Amino acid sequence: MKRQYADLHLTPNIRDFQQVSAIVSKAAQLGYHLIALPFPPNTTQEELKQIQTACKEAKLDLATRIDLKPRTPNDLTYNLRKFRRKFEIIAVICESKNVARQAAKDHRVDLLSFPSTDFRQRFFDMAEAELASESQASLEINTRPLLTLEGPARSRLLASLRKEAAIAKGFKVPIIISSGTSNELLMRKPQEQAVLAQLFDLDRECALDAVSRNPNRIVTRNRQKLSPKFIAPGIRLVKKGKDC
Amino acid sequence: MLKRTKRRYLALQVESTVAVDQTQLMSALWNAITKLYGEHGASQTGLTLIKYDPDEKLAVVRTNNTALNMTRASIATIIKIEEKPVAIHVLTVSGTIKALHKNLRQ
Repeated sequence: MKRQYADLHLTPNIRDFQQVSAIVSKAAQLGYHLIALPFPPNTTQEELKQIQTACKEAKLDLATRIDLKPRTPNDLTYNLRKFRRKFEIIAVICESKNVARQAAKDHRVDLLSFPSTDFRQRFFDMAEAELASESQASLEINTRPLLTLEGPARSRLLASLRKEAAIAKGFKVPIIISSGTSNELLMRKPQEQAVLAQLFDLDRECALDAVSRNPNRIVTRNRQKLSPKFIAPGIRLVKKGKDC
Repeated sequence: MLKRTKRRYLALQVESTVAVDQTQLMSALWNAITKLYGEHGASQTGLTLIKYDPDEKLAVVRTNNTALNMTRASIATIIKIEEKPVAIHVLTVSGTIKALHKNLRQ
């Protein structure tokens, strides 16, 4: 079956419709089928509809996403309770070890993101991977720093990513490769994203899954869960009425 | 016995707001490969420019099949040519120039 490619992290300014529209048409042109944009919690229905229409015109599927940047584990659980049923994807930007551990433990978290290029601030180790594998959370890797960094900084980042990718593979934690950019010129075709993923030793199949199967699986699973017919994993409402 | 080197042809689309000539393009490609894989890695790619149309901003380059991924990764990392922002996308890859043109037409 033909792969359907997804980029779960494009970061245009949602309030700037022109920028959103340019990013959406670029994503369609590059061959993506599904994109996700991080929305601020106070996004109005009108803004969302406008972006959905732009995506529909470009023949793209749009998933809503929120990036949580909690300071404490309690902060994280509070935000998850508040936003889980409002967004299709929840990503947690882990800036401390406590938050990273809590995010990996919580089954409501979809993506674990470690934005820092400093290896001391990246908390995806074996313990984190073990927790993530039990809670179905995925590791998100943005390719933007791979393009913008140069020299020793890029070498160090590649070394960290190589280690994280190996750990994720060992614990069967799905890896998601995203752009993480708001600039059209930093967007790359899905195949190029997969080739960039091979820089940190992902094999070709894994790299292609990271831009197609893995992100699509998260969105499908969450859409089922957010559907009014969903009761519990594996149980959904088929028919409602007196004759049942 | 010496094995014949297999080659791959890549059609590249240069995306930029300013004009890019073929010398600038090739120097950007070589710089990207050297930065990412070093001089030893760059020597394995056998990168050659076959043709470049500056109006269409379309280039055809040749690389060794064994270094195809290295070349593609390096091309993806190019974000500037002469301090001007650019992006270079691989449109198609093929084993012969004839098939490359056929793919491009499709």
